[in-house]
Amino acid sequence: MWLSLLLAPVPPALAADPGSDLQVHGFATQGYVNTTDNRFFGDSEDGSFDFTELGVNASYKATPSVLFSGQLLSRSAGDMYDGSPTVDYALVDWNIVNTEEYAYGIMLGRIKNTLGLYNDTRDVAFTRPGIFLPQQIYFDTVRNLLLSADGVHLYGRFYTDLGSVAVNFGAGSNPVDQNVETSYLGADFPGGMDSDGVSFIARAEYETHDGAWRMALSGAKATLAFDSRYPSLIGSGEIDLLYWVASLQYNAERWAVTAEYMEEPVDFDGFGDPVDDRDSTVQGYYLQGSYLMRNDLELVVRYSEGFADKDDRSGRKMSANSGGWAPPHSFYQKDWVLGLRWDVTPNFMLRAEYQWADGTWTLSRRENPVPGDTEKNWEMFSLLGSYRF
Amino acid sequence: MPLFRSKTRITGLACVLSGLLCTLPVIADQVLIAHPSVGESEVSLNTTRLVFSMQLGQWPNGTRTRVFVLPDDSQVHRAFTKDLLSLYPRQLRRVWDRQLYSGTGQAPETVADETEMRHRVATTPGAIGYLSSEMIDDRVHVLKIR
Repeated sequence: MWLSLLLAPVPPALAADPGSDLQVHGFATQGYVNTTDNRFFGDSEDGSFDFTELGVNASYKATPSVLFSGQLLSRSAGDMYDGSPTVDYALVDWNIVNTEEYAYGIMLGRIKNTLGLYNDTRDVAFTRPGIFLPQQIYFDTVRNLLLSADGVHLYGRFYTDLGSVAVNFGAGSNPVDQNVETSYLGADFPGGMDSDGVSFIARAEYETHDGAWRMALSGAKATLAFDSRYPSLIGSGEIDLLYWVASLQYNAERWAVTAEYMEEPVDFDGFGDPVDDRDSTVQGYYLQGSYLMRNDLELVVRYSEGFADKDDRSGRKMSANSGGWAPPHSFYQKDWVLGLRWDVTPNFMLRAEYQWADGTWTLSRRENPVPGDTEKNWEMFSLLGSYRF
Repeated sequence: MPLFRSKTRITGLACVLSGLLCTLPVIADQVLIAHPSVGESEVSLNTTRLVFSMQLGQWPNGTRTRVFVLPDDSQVHRAFTKDLLSLYPRQLRRVWDRQLYSGTGQAPETVADETEMRHRVATTPGAIGYLSSEMIDDRVHVLKIR
């Protein structure tokens, strides 16, 4: 009987290539960072290889409208991230209606936050416009807070004569880690921080049919609760934040221009003085141009600025509030980046980048615990190799 | 690109030599192809873009779409993307990567060359792909973009 089963013709369903229902992909990235001063992703003043990103994902299309997917990620980045594997996303996507005019659906699980143009694939080097994303908007110090949420997303896409419009709205809970706590409170105080209640995310994106113009508006709202423990110098309190980004991109055949603008009003409440006086509006923006010199060689230039408080762009007021402990230059950062990308093959890429920075605002306090020890003007050279399959 | 332009010229010359047997000049060097189960003879440009962006999961008759592409650095892929879809290969790649690495979609299947493309599209129900016009034979169904 077994023999007859083996000899029987393969049923068409099995004969069809199963590879297109189940897909496995991944990436491996290694970076090298060398700074003239200050620490960025490890002991960069001596040259640091402490920047590694590894990911593997699987997706299964159970029916034309139901997709299961998940990705494991290991990310090492200096003193901030130690490479412990995490579930980057794990979701089921039910594309309820999908026509040539519109589509809508629902996703459940751990879902990447669609913020700005790059957040949802920010750890995949091939999808970034440089070795590092502009830190003034895509902060590495609080990346986990904005990276993903466990919850639900509703989405819709509309294809009109003028282009397509995609909208999504999500609700869930955001993970909070030590980097988030240190960034918002300025130090690691005794006690613990967690996200409080449900966080929300929304995004609307418009794109012309030829993909030349893209514009998007996206935002996330979250509350962080800090539970103080003796002998903490600050009390228990809440931080309300609203992070929003406006994005615009123009793509021509050989060049592209991208601009993004971010604001994040942060409201401290219940901690007592002087923490409650730290209410501010974080601001960041950049303008980026890229030029394809050859089909496999791209030049990128970017100018970015970011401020801990848009009403105190020199950082003097915030420095005074810290009693001079943190110098003014630790509350802003302006930098130029010049980079080159070489696609050696479609699956292997090399990059080199140079950055000139004024200010140290985007540096991690975990890597640079004493703001007064940081150098105001610093430069960074970095290299990156990335493979994907 | 120069390669394909010169092919067009050669085809043109062959037409002149073969006289009236050849009446239609070659307009596009790449042709959209599909498995017969797709059940369409024409598709709109926007539908074609949606299918190649991996955003349209099934054909109007309910058959699931299976998208086949050549590698990003292939001349035929570049020419197809530009001339037939009016997109740049980088834009398609951006859309695929974004879906693939955020878990919201799948990537098209990349085939090594045009011979494999023709074989896979001819033997996979719901398949869509493209070929240089001289690679077309009766195993694949040609789709017109309207």
